[in-house]
Amino acid sequence: MAEVELADVFVEMADTLVDDFDVIDFLHVMTERCVQLLGVSAAGLLLTDGQDTLQVVAASSERTRLLELFQLQADQGPCVECFRTGQPVSVADLPSAGRWPRFTAAAAEVGFAAVHAVPMRLRTEVIGALNFFDTKPGAVDADKLRIGQALADVATIGLLQQRAIHRRDVLTEQLQTALNSRVLIEQAKGVLAERLHVDMADAFTLLRNGARSHNRRLSELAQAIVDGTEQIPEATTASRPH
Amino acid sequence: MSIDRRMRLWSLVADHAHGVPAAVEHVGAAVMSAAGVDGVAVTVVLAATPRETIYASDRVASRLEELTLTLGEGPGVDTFAGGPVLVADLAAPGCLARWPAFAPAAVRAGVRAMFALPLQVGAIHLGVMSLHRAQPGDLDAGQLADVLVLADTACALLLDAADGSRPDGHQPAPAGLQHPEVHQATGMIIVQLGVSAAVALVRLRAYAYAHDRPLRDIAADVVARRLRFDRDRDDQGGTG
Repeated sequence: MAEVELADVFVEMADTLVDDFDVIDFLHVMTERCVQLLGVSAAGLLLTDGQDTLQVVAASSERTRLLELFQLQADQGPCVECFRTGQPVSVADLPSAGRWPRFTAAAAEVGFAAVHAVPMRLRTEVIGALNFFDTKPGAVDADKLRIGQALADVATIGLLQQRAIHRRDVLTEQLQTALNSRVLIEQAKGVLAERLHVDMADAFTLLRNGARSHNRRLSELAQAIVDGTEQIPEATTASRPH
Repeated sequence: MSIDRRMRLWSLVADHAHGVPAAVEHVGAAVMSAAGVDGVAVTVVLAATPRETIYASDRVASRLEELTLTLGEGPGVDTFAGGPVLVADLAAPGCLARWPAFAPAAVRAGVRAMFALPLQVGAIHLGVMSLHRAQPGDLDAGQLADVLVLADTACALLLDAADGSRPDGHQPAPAGLQHPEVHQATGMIIVQLGVSAAVALVRLRAYAYAHDRPLRDIAADVVARRLRFDRDRDDQGGTG
């Protein structure tokens, strides 16, 4: 079963080499693969914003509480430590580790006891981290950690897409574009959530399904929704209050 | 640390303002010293008018903006695709191929390095800030980080200038990368007020300033549906 899913990941990675590849959707898929292949509860992908902070760019679930939990690590937490050291960070039992009190409390509220982070690296440069949470405390075994690192590496390749990125300027351009796409998607989620009276997670699902079914990039559709040049057909609005 | 960088750069902007409320031109001046570049220009893109250069540090900076507008190509155009365009040397073969009209003209004007940063918040395109240098070469990581923060500051000032209630002289709330609720709330207000994304964000920020509450908290209230911005009310917001 796991072998079939790993093969899926390679196919997805090959897809990143074609022209109309949608990088934001791809990063989301990587976080979902993380959950499936590692058997963890949630995964999130954070990138450096070039201004000393990490920003969430994709997560296995778009639930607001979960995104906030990932984003809490903007300047401290296991993800930041992983980003700064370029080494995996594993916390088998958050409460007893006694570090990062705000983050630990927030994780407990959502029901997470263990957290792991693997670096997204491009040669010597660390561009972010792939973060995963578990409801059960415990170390993650070495094989799973290797798969997690492989997924982070695939995500890095997909994001950067170019064989010859050896210059910080090109790296920065790609990262900043991805981060702005994320803002765009959040704006589009807001538009859909308000128009269709759904929550943010459902809004994201509608956006993503709309992009896939019309073969458009997530960020392009998001731009059109925010500009008002595109509407997503409402699923059922019979019960919408006025 | 990110907060320290923001504080240091805001002090730099305030210094250049010499006692008047900080505006985009002061950010431009701060960029020059922080990035070690020869010139800066800020061009805004408004719905009704074409690009308008609202600040240029010198004639070369103006010239580059003119060339961008006239030729319709260059880093200042490509940056609208969503990210910065950072060019260490416009005379390099790749650049001459990419911008066959703009690159040679810019080099003739005495420019080799050019860095175009979009002034944007997601779908909201406010304009572009262009930096140039006669000497080719990249910005180093620290200069780049400073420039990104200053671009965000320029966005914040442009947004706040659109509404009368800007906090004159006080450091504006960051415009771009911050908590998702701010951007989600922007989207919701677009629908609630029937306005553009730029206007929605301006209103959200103005409400936060007027009520002296952090932008993030107001945004959280909007997303949680504790606060609505309704068309048919005289004030800017209310409980729904």
